[in-house]
Amino acid sequence: MHEMSLVRSLIRQVDLIAAENGGGSVREVSVEIGPLSGVESELVQSAFDQVIAESHESPMTLTIRETPLVVHCLQCEDDCEIDNFIFRCLRCGSGHVRVIRGDEFRIASITLDERVTHA
Amino acid sequence: MPERTIVINRDIQSERRAAAEHRRQEFTRQKTFVVNLVSSPGAGKTTLLEATCRYWKDRWKIAVLVGDLATQRDADRLRPFVPVQQLTTGGACHLELSLVEKGLAKLPQEHFDFLFIENVGNLVCPASHDLAEHLRVVLLSTTEGDDKPGKYPKMFRTSEVMVITKMDLLPHVPFDVDRATVDSHLIRDSMEVITVCSLHDEGIHNWCQMLERRREQLFSEVDVPCST
Repeated sequence: MHEMSLVRSLIRQVDLIAAENGGGSVREVSVEIGPLSGVESELVQSAFDQVIAESHESPMTLTIRETPLVVHCLQCEDDCEIDNFIFRCLRCGSGHVRVIRGDEFRIASITLDERVTHA
Repeated sequence: MPERTIVINRDIQSERRAAAEHRRQEFTRQKTFVVNLVSSPGAGKTTLLEATCRYWKDRWKIAVLVGDLATQRDADRLRPFVPVQQLTTGGACHLELSLVEKGLAKLPQEHFDFLFIENVGNLVCPASHDLAEHLRVVLLSTTEGDDKPGKYPKMFRTSEVMVITKMDLLPHVPFDVDRATVDSHLIRDSMEVITVCSLHDEGIHNWCQMLERRREQLFSEVDVPCST
């Protein structure tokens, strides 16, 4: 289970982004997880809750959106969504395909509580 | 309290991937061909490396980094042949580039033609970690069953070569080499499949030839003239 190590990295990056953006506290983190990301959404969620509880004073919500696995066919140039890990073009049947979506574990956005600053 | 949403759209591994890519280019410049060996525990990674060392003898300069949760056992097995460093992860289920760097620093500081990184035995987590290798090889032993590629798609999708090991046990186990091959090709169309019995040095010629061919292919694409 390597979700914990990746979630620690996620939170480090989120904290850094927050600091670069004025240092408000992070209310919500939205991530996208694909079927070929190598992580399990439920394990990411529990690892996230655990790390935040241990290291942050204010709570942070994690929203996970699961993305589809999409391949691009290098034979017929078509893109198609596959759902069974059979890496074949659904149109022409070629196995000469490249994954264009679905291997990501990506920070989509973060929502900050805006600190009211006076100029 | 007012809130503000910032769009990021960045993979959390993007920095690690960039670091691995940078390291890979360095290995390429040094003409060290780096192979990441992944498999379940006990599939025969160390035994394959022992057979590789026996086959090549002094033909190539080889170094090995071996990852395990604990003990020096694998390093002890390979030490009679080549410079080797054991990387003990202390419980982590996979190797990361930072651990590889630590191991490299402890190896003799000389040129190696091949660097083998024997990953922690695990068909899941090591798939997500780029160790700056040029080639990822997944081992599948006949005792594990021929249904593994479809069950561990990420590991087989990210590997370019599948080595079926323990071929001497084939008469005793319900393993169909064709079925495993077809299954791996559904995951990765271009998967190169090699069968070996490392204990009896069978198939090692093909395995070593594949490595030499891929090393030559890679370095002939690099502009620098070959020094050896």
